[in-house]
Amino acid sequence: MKKLDRLDWAESITLSSFGVRTGVRVNISGVLPNVLPLLPPGWKKSRGVAVHRLYSLVVAQGCERAGVRRLHVLYADSMRLARGVALDQVLAALETDLHRYTAEATSDMTFLHAGVVGWQGRAIVLPGRSFSGKTTLVREMLRLGATYYSDEFAVVDNSGLVHPFARPLGIRDDSSRAQTKYTAEGLGAASGVKPLPMSMAVICKFETGAQWRPAPLSQGLGALELLANSVAVRSQPHETLRILHKLAKQAVFIRGIRGEAREAAASILNLSCGRERLEMV
Amino acid sequence: MKDRQFPRARADCLSREFDSELLVYDPQRNVGHCLNSTAAAAWKLCDGNNSPSQIARALSRRLSAQVDERVVLLALDQLANANLLVEPEAPVKLSSRRVAIRRIGIAAAIVLPLVTSIVAPTPAQAASCLHNLQPCANNPQCCSNLCLLNRCVGG
Repeated sequence: MKKLDRLDWAESITLSSFGVRTGVRVNISGVLPNVLPLLPPGWKKSRGVAVHRLYSLVVAQGCERAGVRRLHVLYADSMRLARGVALDQVLAALETDLHRYTAEATSDMTFLHAGVVGWQGRAIVLPGRSFSGKTTLVREMLRLGATYYSDEFAVVDNSGLVHPFARPLGIRDDSSRAQTKYTAEGLGAASGVKPLPMSMAVICKFETGAQWRPAPLSQGLGALELLANSVAVRSQPHETLRILHKLAKQAVFIRGIRGEAREAAASILNLSCGRERLEMV
Repeated sequence: MKDRQFPRARADCLSREFDSELLVYDPQRNVGHCLNSTAAAAWKLCDGNNSPSQIARALSRRLSAQVDERVVLLALDQLANANLLVEPEAPVKLSSRRVAIRRIGIAAAIVLPLVTSIVAPTPAQAASCLHNLQPCANNPQCCSNLCLLNRCVGG
């Protein structure tokens, strides 16, 4: 860390997000504006200098020489986190780690890996691992008039309310699976601001051609599904279980296999407000 | 043999009740379990003083239905398999749920015990990751946790 500290740092920022203080410093001026859009939604500038984690981004300078690759390097405290020729890849690594670290380190909130939309004053939560189709379903619900809360994390406070984590949606291209970022407003939807109680959690998997026929899930099994997507359950099991209990008590859980997102999205919105009823299997 | 005669629930697990179900978290193995009503009731009666037949009698009283001792043994098998009992007898001979249902009979008066388990994710697993051949700058970005020459490998 001392070696890193001895480098010339041109710009830095200290931020606070969900009670976690982090810092980012770069060795070249003009790079920090590229970092700001990657910070966790709702971050605030912090005046203090003490941080839980300090990111140091060493941007390669100078001309390329034959046979020599100049790499951009990212450190989290003294640990090398990423290095690469392309700065955007290293910046993506910074975004991923900063969001994960905030989600894990905060004691103010409980983070669940889930997509979230607001619908008629309540939150619909879609827990699931990567490539389970959360973002696709969220996008379809936004098209039908839902409010955007997140495509990555359901952020739950001590009283069980779900807060927005409205980072731009990372929509994957079907063929290359590369992500393009879109804001909710860019997709014609509004982003939520107010914390909402959870009305429904939907556990679903995508299968080509499948017909959406959701079935109810018990509170215990629903809470187990939420636990399987809790970021900090290993480090904060007491608090996570307490919050899951609160969430499960106020919500209904459904599970199903979906084909096209459009059909499932419409059904979920109708189910959540009682316009559609579950077929008991 | 004594453990099976007088099974004892592990005291270091965290639990929360959801109606009649029980969500149990094992902080040593980082596994979450959902015990259905019968498994939950049986687990709560595993205090090291009750034998399976005593547990069956207590369950019968609690559930107001005749509970066969074989139902309790099935529950104990599942609880032992989930490592929710103190030092289960070794080796634990697991009876198939299907076989047990056949033996007990489909006309059992209560719900058969069921323990559903899920391994708790690490923080990296509980966040989005990159797929095979997508550009990356470090291992944790990739679902496979392997970033080679700035491309994710596998996952």
